[in-house]
Amino acid sequence: MIVFEHVGKRYGGRFDALANLDFRVHRGEMVFLTGHSGAGKSSLLRLIMRLERPTRGRVLVAGHDIARLHASQVPFYRRQIGVVFQDHQLLLDRSIYHNVALPLEIRGVEPREAARRVRAALDKVGLLHRERALPIELSGGEQQRVGIARAVVNKPSLLLADEPTGNLDPQLSADIMALFEDFNRIGTTVVIASHDLALITRLRHRMLRLRDGRLVADEEAA
Amino acid sequence: MSRGAVRQSPRGARSQGQGPRTGSRLRAWGRHHRAMCLDSAGRLLKHPVGSLLTMLAIAIALVLPAALWLALDSARLLDAELEESATLTVYLAHQVDEAQAGRIDEAIGAQEGVARTRLITAAEGMAEFQQALGLTDALGRLDDNPLPASVVVTPVNPAPERVRDLAQLLQEMTGVDEVRLDLAWLERLRHLAELGSRVALALGVLFGLGVLLVVGNTIRLAVESRRQEIEVVMLIGATHAFVRRPFLYSGAWYGLGGGLLAWGLLGIGSEWLAAPVSALAASYGATFRLPQLGAAGSATLLICSTLLGWLGAWIAVSRHLAEIRPR
Repeated sequence: MIVFEHVGKRYGGRFDALANLDFRVHRGEMVFLTGHSGAGKSSLLRLIMRLERPTRGRVLVAGHDIARLHASQVPFYRRQIGVVFQDHQLLLDRSIYHNVALPLEIRGVEPREAARRVRAALDKVGLLHRERALPIELSGGEQQRVGIARAVVNKPSLLLADEPTGNLDPQLSADIMALFEDFNRIGTTVVIASHDLALITRLRHRMLRLRDGRLVADEEAA
Repeated sequence: MSRGAVRQSPRGARSQGQGPRTGSRLRAWGRHHRAMCLDSAGRLLKHPVGSLLTMLAIAIALVLPAALWLALDSARLLDAELEESATLTVYLAHQVDEAQAGRIDEAIGAQEGVARTRLITAAEGMAEFQQALGLTDALGRLDDNPLPASVVVTPVNPAPERVRDLAQLLQEMTGVDEVRLDLAWLERLRHLAELGSRVALALGVLFGLGVLLVVGNTIRLAVESRRQEIEVVMLIGATHAFVRRPFLYSGAWYGLGGGLLAWGLLGIGSEWLAAPVSALAASYGATFRLPQLGAAGSATLLICSTLLGWLGAWIAVSRHLAEIRPR
């Protein structure tokens, strides 16, 4: 699903954010990406989202070198990836329903079909009853669940999450991770960047450890 | 799952991932256009005073060139009438008698570039002269008619150069004494009209740029205030066209609103000026009405203003989209 071949990313000509990364993530896998802040977790995800291009090596997603996508193709590529952000990036002036419906609106999904899918996604994260609320009326954990619903409403085959439990207490964090596991169970490839070692070691999935932009450990699920 | 699967090539994803058929894609596209058209109008109405001020700025920028253009249009009409009356007077030699005059008239009529001729015999000339001056008695006392016969020639092409060529030609005909053409004032008028139309064009371009700037600046602020939203939708796969759309509609609405206001201002202006203008014209013994925009002119004004608004928005958004990169 995801192949990194000798990938390096250098900013400003001097600072190596990532160096010589070599790994693959198979279809249907669930992988944690861990390391201190600044170790390069976000940079790695940004490469997969094609927000940036590697300065060295190749990133292949589903067999395609995504650096070679034309700028006009990038939006269509991104539609196939669900992304959950640490600060959830919800639109504050729209209801929960409309936030989740946004990816479908962008894809031009017919409204009735969109409504069905939005409700299914909200139901999955347990927030169907809050569909008319504004993001500000929700707690941090609920907002993050809305972010997840928005990421999965398109039924992507690849789900990326950048510190999805960053600001949440342990119980909520475990709930969020359980949600990701549910999606993984139905075949979605999931890559989660997290520094919450205590939580992720307990979950027993493959773990890629980064330090100063290098891959220092690739621990298979125990 | 399958439709959006990453395993498809990006090209394939583009054609299949969006919707199963072109028809449904087209419908989705139309749906988004409709939604954004209404949404942008709603946003304008949410801030009526601000929107109105922007439209008023556009209207003021449009009124001046539009008014000048109208004035020039009426000047052109006037010019066309004057050209019609651009004639040459060919005075025949004194010794030419009436029969000869008739033949010369015919010969002139046969010349290339001559549309019409009218022969004025010496006697007719005298009669006209007497009538015009009311000097029946004084002239009646003359033994001899001092006036020569003349031919009034209407050229096919009233352009001054052509008329001058024609005059040259007629001058060389036998029996012709003198050819008179008074083109200087006509030429002056023409130069003036040319000057006016260039000024109007320059003003039109300048004020059109002004409209672009007004709309562009307004849209720039709108883009800035929705920056977060733009970043988010770009992160989840919105195309530039998708992001641009609501702003283009806002620009078009501003343009249309400005055009309507300009149209109203022109109407009020010409109403306000109508009385003094017709009084002035009457004092010259003429009837002159201020030109009106008319249906075609109104449509042109509104279409131009809407397009200018749209274009201004396009420029502003495109410039900004290049800057906005999702974090």
